[in-house]
Amino acid sequence: MAEREIAQRLFAKEFNASTLSLTNTFSGDVPDMNPPNLLISPTGVRINRVFVVGVITEVEKLGSEAGNECDLWKARISDPTGVFIVYAGQYQPEAAIFLSTVSVPSYVAVVGKARAYEPEKDSVFISIRPEEINSVEGTIRDRWVLDTAELTLKRLDLLSEILSDQAHGGELSEHMRSNGPDTGSSEAVLNAVAFYGTDQNYISKFRQSVRKALLFIKENAGLEIQQKGDAENLIVKLLKELNNGKGVQYSCLLKEVGSQRVPEEVADAAVRSLLAKGECYEPKHGVIKLV
Amino acid sequence: MNDKYAPHIEELSKALEGVGYTDIQTELDNLLRFRVPLEEAKRTILNKFRPKEACEIKIKDILKSPKSFALKGRIISVEKKKIVLKGETAYLYSGKLLDETGVCLFTAWDDFCLNEGDIIKIYNVHMKLWNNRPEINFGQRSIVEKLPEDPSLPKDEKIFTQTKKIIEINPSDLLVSSQGVVTEIYHRDIIVKGKDTIIIEGVIADDTGKLPFSSWVPMEGVDIGNAINFRDAHVRLFRGIPSLNFTHMTSWELLPDNKCPFSKNKIMTDEPSYISIGSVLEKDGLFDVVVTGNIISVRPGSGLIERCPVCNRVIQNNVCRAHGTVEGIRDMRVKAILDDGTGAVYIMLNRELSEVIYGRSMEEAENIAKLSMSKDAVYESMKRSLIGTYLAVRGNSSKSEFGTTIVARYAWVPEDDLLSRLDDLLLKLPEDI
Repeated sequence: MAEREIAQRLFAKEFNASTLSLTNTFSGDVPDMNPPNLLISPTGVRINRVFVVGVITEVEKLGSEAGNECDLWKARISDPTGVFIVYAGQYQPEAAIFLSTVSVPSYVAVVGKARAYEPEKDSVFISIRPEEINSVEGTIRDRWVLDTAELTLKRLDLLSEILSDQAHGGELSEHMRSNGPDTGSSEAVLNAVAFYGTDQNYISKFRQSVRKALLFIKENAGLEIQQKGDAENLIVKLLKELNNGKGVQYSCLLKEVGSQRVPEEVADAAVRSLLAKGECYEPKHGVIKLV
Repeated sequence: MNDKYAPHIEELSKALEGVGYTDIQTELDNLLRFRVPLEEAKRTILNKFRPKEACEIKIKDILKSPKSFALKGRIISVEKKKIVLKGETAYLYSGKLLDETGVCLFTAWDDFCLNEGDIIKIYNVHMKLWNNRPEINFGQRSIVEKLPEDPSLPKDEKIFTQTKKIIEINPSDLLVSSQGVVTEIYHRDIIVKGKDTIIIEGVIADDTGKLPFSSWVPMEGVDIGNAINFRDAHVRLFRGIPSLNFTHMTSWELLPDNKCPFSKNKIMTDEPSYISIGSVLEKDGLFDVVVTGNIISVRPGSGLIERCPVCNRVIQNNVCRAHGTVEGIRDMRVKAILDDGTGAVYIMLNRELSEVIYGRSMEEAENIAKLSMSKDAVYESMKRSLIGTYLAVRGNSSKSEFGTTIVARYAWVPEDDLLSRLDDLLLKLPEDI
């Protein structure tokens, strides 16, 4: 049985630079299976499937192809380092419907296959063909950036180690054989180094963009956590004030919170968090009461 | 005969030691006269003169055995089993066989008059992996030769018992010795061959891992929190996960606290450890693991389903595969793929967990289905609320031809301290000057 392709996490900057495509060079795979189409990223990730979370900033209908009823949709999904391009056509009907109705801007999660399109020599366009696409909350985006930063830094560390070994006359492939996680990915790293000329300069530059991405999230997450904390305090206060012994109607609570200019989704998240922490409970459906 | 064949004859006679040069020459000459291609002629000759006796191996080399081999050993147990094959009743004989180097399971698909204690030499048998365990198979072409008693063959399989840490116990072990703390224990009444029997089930853990165990013999004085030292427990497989089986062969004793090589309290209070999905995939089955990842797909078959009241199978249109037309029992579940960037596993959530994670009760889901006149509406709604989200699940993993699956015992949305993770990462990333 062939294992399911991992949904790789990588930043748009790295993804869009992944112009090296491999179809079939990995030996030892199950022979009667179609080998997956792979792109190799500059740090040596074997990309087939990706998982990205970002802000959808633009949706464009590219019109029907001649003699074809179905539309082609193009969307731009931004992460702190760049933009992912997503195309959904007649074979991704669910994603196409999603894109036709999604509000812009908003947070979305996409699972899809990496595609390379090479209209002429030396110009390759990398895009995602979605398998799944969905609206998500902002915290999921923040976590995705963190996860992706962690995984990317790990790869950069390994790569940097390999390159410095090589610089000191060590045998590159020898090192990979003893330290590489598995043969498929070590081969990918070797290919990446040979094709992109990935070097220490690239690595330190990339580290800086990861740093920028993290700082960007930190600002954002700090703000959100602050906002949520404020909202929680406000709600606890209101629950105390409005309590007539039987708890407070949820709709009534939201109205009061809204009058203090707290957005409804923040208030909703705060109530859920309070419920999860056990500070308040629902004696009846739609009624919130402090413990 | 043409000289140009001389190197080939040379090559053949090297491969076939003890066969005369002229014999090979005559044979090749004969075949070539029939215009048999040279390669085929060489193969034919090799096959004709190669010694018929298959090579003999020892049990320790069983995993790299040739297709067909011979082996000498002692039968230490044998059991007759009735099976129904294509509507016909047949018997097979299975048990254990040992030699000086190890123990192995065997299955005989014919009656070879095997008895416990027999010393036998078997020819033309082959090895097959059954539940990831090597097993010697006696087929129609196998020959059994009974030999007189041989004192060089051990009588007891216990001499091959290995002492291992819990995490090291794997399906290829038959008997194993180890130490651990009993973290769970239950008594269960079951009926075996018409007799009421009490069996003990539980979980045993050390500082490396934990495994389920069951005992057919009473374990007086053992309770939750006791550390025990056991010898010669059987390793059984249940859904790809090794489990320990205490029988009359197993001996055990309580381990005083000062002799525990690990901290008992730590094991008793230990929170389950999170592991990467990539490392779950490396193992055939793991007991009680926790993984976190993103739901990257909700599979068809999620949502509202109906089950057969007899066998609990999922049914369509009130027709069960085994029981025909039945009145289905309503149920709800989530089948999804969880991916953490190191690997992907299937996860299964039962009704209770689905209700929590999906955020709607089954009744609410049924209302959605009713309003939209479609059961798919619930599946679609699940996809909308689940895809992309973070989820942690705890349960056992097992590998099958469909991939690795974790059947969730618990599932929750993992809390995450984003800011402290952020700060940790930023510490490792000094600003470029």
